Amino acid sequence: MDYFEPKTVDEALSLLDQHGEQAEVIAGGTDVMVDIKYSDEPGCLVNIKRIPDLNAIRESNGGVHIGPLATIHELEESELVRKRLPLLWSAAHQFASLQIRNTATIGGNICRASPSGETLAPLLVLEAEAEVTFSDGARTEPFSAFFKGPGETSLGSKGLLTGINVPYPADGSHAVYLKHAVRGPMDIAMVGVAVMATANADKSALDDVRIGLGAVAPTPVRAPKTEALVSGKALDAALVKEAGASAASESSPITDQRSSGEYRGWIVDALTRRGLEQCWQALTGKEVA
Amino acid sequence: MGLEIKLTVNGNTHTAELEPSTALVDFLRDTLGYKGVKLCCNTGECGACTIIMDGKPVNSCVVLGADAAGADLVTVEGIADGDELHPVQQAFIDTGAVQCGYCTPGFIVSLKALLDRTKSPTAEDVEEAISGNICRCTGYTKIFDAVELAAKRMA
Ligand SMILES: Cc1cc2nc3c(=O)[nH]c(=O)nc-3n(C[C@H](O)[C@H](O)[C@H](O)COP(=O)(O)OP(=O)(O)OC[C@H]3O[C@@H](n4cnc5c(N)ncnc54)[C@H](O)[C@@H]3O)c2cc1C
Ligand code: FES
Ligand code: FES
Repeated sequence: MDYFEPKTVDEALSLLDQHGEQAEVIAGGTDVMVDIKYSDEPGCLVNIKRIPDLNAIRESNGGVHIGPLATIHELEESELVRKRLPLLWSAAHQFASLQIRNTATIGGNICRASPSGETLAPLLVLEAEAEVTFSDGARTEPFSAFFKGPGETSLGSKGLLTGINVPYPADGSHAVYLKHAVRGPMDIAMVGVAVMATANADKSALDDVRIGLGAVAPTPVRAPKTEALVSGKALDAALVKEAGASAASESSPITDQRSSGEYRGWIVDALTRRGLEQCWQALTGKEVA
Repeated sequence: MGLEIKLTVNGNTHTAELEPSTALVDFLRDTLGYKGVKLCCNTGECGACTIIMDGKPVNSCVVLGADAAGADLVTVEGIADGDELHPVQQAFIDTGAVQCGYCTPGFIVSLKALLDRTKSPTAEDVEEAISGNICRCTGYTKIFDAVELAAKRMA
């Protein structure tokens, strides 16, 4: 196996161009190391960890810029993330063990493009953008366009994720990330649901409701029909029930070793209801009637 | 293709060769001889291979060996002060927190890292610190007793 430690993004990109499908990028390695041991060893490993300045977490243009090499624990420790992006903070906090959080990077979580990746549904709901760089230039694109399928992104085999730009959520918004897994954080999510909303001026209705679903479709997805169903309305028990069922119908979960598809549907229903209720309570100070 | 790296383990400087696909746990055990680092699940789930890398606990089975170049590592072999055990080690003995012992080095390293961060950890802090360490024997209660005792003795 060939091995490279590029010192710049350009150097990394030219290695990817040169080695094509043979090459695999490695960041924290918590996914790649397991692959090397139990699946196929890549022809060539491009370790991007020695590229300086790719792990910054800083304020930029009305939001937060996150370098792909920031570890999950660095997100969790960041005051900026905790205060201004509590949804992403909550996903980082529910992510595996401390040892894994110290090693795993957000870029690796995104580029792995596992539908269950903890940070993905929150990034969709926050309407964050990916900075993707190829040897012929860089562009930004919304994460809704970035994820193509399980393990597939618009990076293909020759691109690098070089940044994540997350706009600040609207003032006064509230968001929750709910993860369902057998062994709590240590386990990969069976279902992850991110809900974010604001309240209208007199706190009588929810506005701009956003719902992201993880682990229940080939990519993380939003639930646009459910969002439209709830936005602009006062949340009552009947609407909560309808919204849960609607979100479940917008998911297309598979059956695997972690859970059956049918069970995942019930959990999407339950977590969507719970997320909406929690947002309603936090935003209006009222219980759902 | 062999790769030569230089690193510090428990204060000792080593220079050694490794294959670039080698996991850090295998490099530490097989090349450098730090057998206190245990190998169990080999996929990052059990914590037996926990070491402290530049101040942070990590699972050495899912870290690329090459990433240790220039790093400062601490394994269970490095935390006693000469013949005097680290308070966490002594507390494990005194509270009976060891049964088969296979998980013990990983727990001790995770808990040493915890007590380096916080002098008087809450039960929640302890839970978080060892959420990535699995013990099939003790039922964890004695391990919690051990941290409490160690924290008291270190205060
Ligand atoms: C025990 C254990 C528990 C886990 N628990 C969770 C969990 O609770 N939630 C969760 O979401 N995940 C979990 N994971 C999965 C994994 O830790 C995450 O997906 C992690 O974020 C991957 O990051 P990494 O830096 O380790 O990635 P790596 O393994 O280095 O890379 C992952 C993939 O991304 C590519 N890549 C990385 N960075 C870039 C980049 N900048 N540009 C282009 N491609 C890139 C790599 O080529 C590879 O395909 C767990 C893994 C283990 C071993
Ligand atoms: S052997 Fe590394 S975590 Fe289990
Ligand atoms: S003492 Fe046996 S696994 Fe912990």
